[in-house]
Amino acid sequence: MTLDNSDGRDSGKNSIANCLQEARKTLATEIRQARGGVQATQVYSTKIDHLLGRIRSKSTASPDSPVALVAIGGYGRSRLCLYSDIDLLILFGGPIASNEEQLVKDLLHPLWDLGLDVGQQVRQIDELSHPETDNPSFLVAVADARFVTGDAKVFNQFIQHVRGPEAIWRQATIEALRVLVEERYRHFNSTIYQLEPDVKEAPGALRDVAAIRALASLAKASDSPIVPTPLGRLDDALSEAEDFLLRIRSILHLDNGRNLNTLSHDHQETVAERFGSPGSETGGQVETLMSAYFHHARIIARILTTNLNEISPVSGPGRRRRIADNIECNNQLIHFIDNVRASLQPHTWLEVFQAAIDEGCAVAQETLAFMERHGDRYPTEAFLPGTKARDQLLHFLKPKPGLYERLSEMHENRLLSRIFPEFRKIYCRVIRDFYHKYTVDEHTLLTIRNLCELTDPNTAARNRFGGVLAELEQPELIVLALLFHDVGKWTNKNHAEESVRMARGPLRRLKISIDSIQTVEFLVRHHLQMSQTAFRRDTGDLEVTRQFARLVGTEDRLKMLCLLTVADIQAVSPETLTPWKEELLWKLYVDTYNHLTLGYGDELIATSQPSVSELRKLRPPEISEHQVTEFLEGLPQRYLRLVDTQTVYRHIKLSRSLEPTQVRLSLVQDNDVWELSVVTKDRPRIFSNICGVLSYFGMDILRGQAMSNHQEVVLDLFRFIDADRFLAMNRSGRSDLTTLLEGVVSGMVDLGTMLKGREAAAQANHNKLRVRTVVHFDHHYSDRYTVLEVVSTNQWGLLHRISRVISEHGCDIELVLISTEGNRAIDVFHLTSSGKKLGPDKEENLSTDLKQALTSPSSPP
Amino acid sequence: MKLICAIIKPHVLDDVRDELAKAGVQGLTVTEVKGFGRQKGHTEIYRGAEYTVDFVPKVKLEAVVADALVEAASDAIIKTARTGSIGDGKVFVSDVGQTIRIRTGEVGDEAL
Repeated sequence: MTLDNSDGRDSGKNSIANCLQEARKTLATEIRQARGGVQATQVYSTKIDHLLGRIRSKSTASPDSPVALVAIGGYGRSRLCLYSDIDLLILFGGPIASNEEQLVKDLLHPLWDLGLDVGQQVRQIDELSHPETDNPSFLVAVADARFVTGDAKVFNQFIQHVRGPEAIWRQATIEALRVLVEERYRHFNSTIYQLEPDVKEAPGALRDVAAIRALASLAKASDSPIVPTPLGRLDDALSEAEDFLLRIRSILHLDNGRNLNTLSHDHQETVAERFGSPGSETGGQVETLMSAYFHHARIIARILTTNLNEISPVSGPGRRRRIADNIECNNQLIHFIDNVRASLQPHTWLEVFQAAIDEGCAVAQETLAFMERHGDRYPTEAFLPGTKARDQLLHFLKPKPGLYERLSEMHENRLLSRIFPEFRKIYCRVIRDFYHKYTVDEHTLLTIRNLCELTDPNTAARNRFGGVLAELEQPELIVLALLFHDVGKWTNKNHAEESVRMARGPLRRLKISIDSIQTVEFLVRHHLQMSQTAFRRDTGDLEVTRQFARLVGTEDRLKMLCLLTVADIQAVSPETLTPWKEELLWKLYVDTYNHLTLGYGDELIATSQPSVSELRKLRPPEISEHQVTEFLEGLPQRYLRLVDTQTVYRHIKLSRSLEPTQVRLSLVQDNDVWELSVVTKDRPRIFSNICGVLSYFGMDILRGQAMSNHQEVVLDLFRFIDADRFLAMNRSGRSDLTTLLEGVVSGMVDLGTMLKGREAAAQANHNKLRVRTVVHFDHHYSDRYTVLEVVSTNQWGLLHRISRVISEHGCDIELVLISTEGNRAIDVFHLTSSGKKLGPDKEENLSTDLKQALTSPSSPP
Repeated sequence: MKLICAIIKPHVLDDVRDELAKAGVQGLTVTEVKGFGRQKGHTEIYRGAEYTVDFVPKVKLEAVVADALVEAASDAIIKTARTGSIGDGKVFVSDVGQTIRIRTGEVGDEAL
């Protein structure tokens, strides 16, 4: 069948083509007034029904099988927009032969001639006795099946399969829905907060509405417990959301002249104008529009999540387990047991989210809604009333799988912004630029998700960053920095400084240490610095690396800034962090790390530098300016980056008027870690002896460094843990340790004899998991020293052994940097021999003896 | 018309782009690439362990210019991309048969 004229176009007022044109014109008129929502699309869909009926009646084909024309998908829901596909099922009640094929042509050709995009499916009723489980899109589309014209009996027979009492189609359709939703969400990074959302496909958009309605209609037809409860009162909110999105989609179709559904930045202005969004400037109008968009998207996504959770299979009928005092896990969802009690204890609400992380499941929607209802009764302090609550929060913020999902829940139900009111400023904040895909708050949460993914990296390239994360003692500081790094974007000024300013309040409320606050502030202030340096500066230039190393100051800050940068870039959009960029970041990280650990010895404190002047100015009265200068002269710059002002003054006091063999020390406890400072005049084997004494008492050295100044005063700093609890369990422990230290360092006590008795312990530890021993000499990073890097299994007496071997080779240990990460000890020594760098022969001999000493546990200390 | 293709170090891109604009080159295509040149990669040391870096991140820059602009464009790239150290990159110049602007249908130099 062809249309009336040979040129393929209709003529006459009542022609099919003219009817379509009139239908579109009517719809377009509605759209221009931002009224292209549910009602307008229903009217348009009905007109397409009539059009289809007319085309069917014009067909001269005589099929032997009865046929029903069935609208499916969006057409089935009567939600056709101006350029939507016409999803049509041509359903025959019997075999499909040549007459039936002719009918199909008679139906499709005119539709194509009219320029309509048709998504046609042709089936025989017998083919549909079982669902097409390999065709999930079809399964979902037919869930919205609607009879248009033809044989109603064939349609009814079909509906019996799809929505009848037998569960097979329903189960298959639900499963197909779930698969398609998951796929679609993955494609959009599982967030509704897209800055240029696809109003049809994005999470929280029209496809989600269709999914919700499909699940509800499947529930209506069944008593099965596996489908969710119908919407009830939520239907009004859902209808409103759907109408809003359809109006936007309609405007996009009209403006684009085709089936394009992305609400791009440019289109946001047009749509806002058509809606008459309030605001005197375009920017304000767009913000209002997008704020409404996210409001509706949240409702849709929340309803769909609830429904999908309700149909998740559970093992066993209604498994219920008590997790904590007032918290239970029921059907893989975390609830309060007693809501009334919980409503009076806001400080316990965080425990629900921690429980969800621990159990690897979600918090129940009703529990989230409960917190949202009651939350505004309480001030911020009520959620973190004491040390226990604050410590719980810091523990909660450690990067791990599930943290992003829980923080998202807390953000949605407003708990996050009750604990941190500063976060409210960036709620759904839209920043329009070429790069960012998400609102500022969603970007922030995605950075945390990216960081958490490094705890279990899925690529070899990310493994190296995952390794860096695993080395950090306080990874929660990165999470805190990420939470606040963009809060300053509520204003259009320099957001980094504004973010630092806004972060101060919450950091102080958490009562974390000054050092931790300064670290978080540093990370927030400089969160763009590493990417700017890696991508825009010549990292092959040593001076660039030096400057960056000066900025970060310490290895820990470097690691944190590196991880924050990786997480931040990846959260801009899924494509932003390319392997290319990762390579540049890693190179800068390695070069800077090496400079900080291998090259720091050449950068000495200049007594004229501002930080030294400041120290002189702020000194306590009992310390003279000369004493400040004299102590600092010759120490590496690193010392001032690592040690706070009060500790510097403490060291100065220890160093004053030292006799040649005198030893002064300070031993301070900081939670589970001890900090030891030893000050004495330089002489052979000091470092080796101190390490030996600490080993004697079973102390596990975590970090350490040794340095000396121009007055030949040696300063050795150690952080260690008392693994055997010697200090805790012995009243005289501190005194014993310090007395022995003084005796050994001053040469009054022979350490070798004492340590022989510990040999058996070393033997017993020999078989624990060993790290490959590496002895590496570097000649690149220092002009003054030969830098020796030793990586080995952390074992008893390790440092003492290494430093003894070095001393036996006649080398002077000028600087030492020690770190221990789990089973691995990484120690860097800056060496000289007779005041100069080591020659090749000495290096080779030293290397041989070191390797032997480290791989043979029975070597006597 | 000629296609100028340059492989340069990433950090010089902004300067090269600005200099090309001054030389009259308006359109550029930039791609992140990895290079493997005469120096055949290098080894890095991290925590005492060596690892080989075979490919080095570079930027590929492409621009089609009128014949009259080739020298100025090449000079602009060379002047700003040169650091004097190994790995500065290369410039390749090749002939272009035809250029068409998609939106308007303009051809040849008019399309540049």
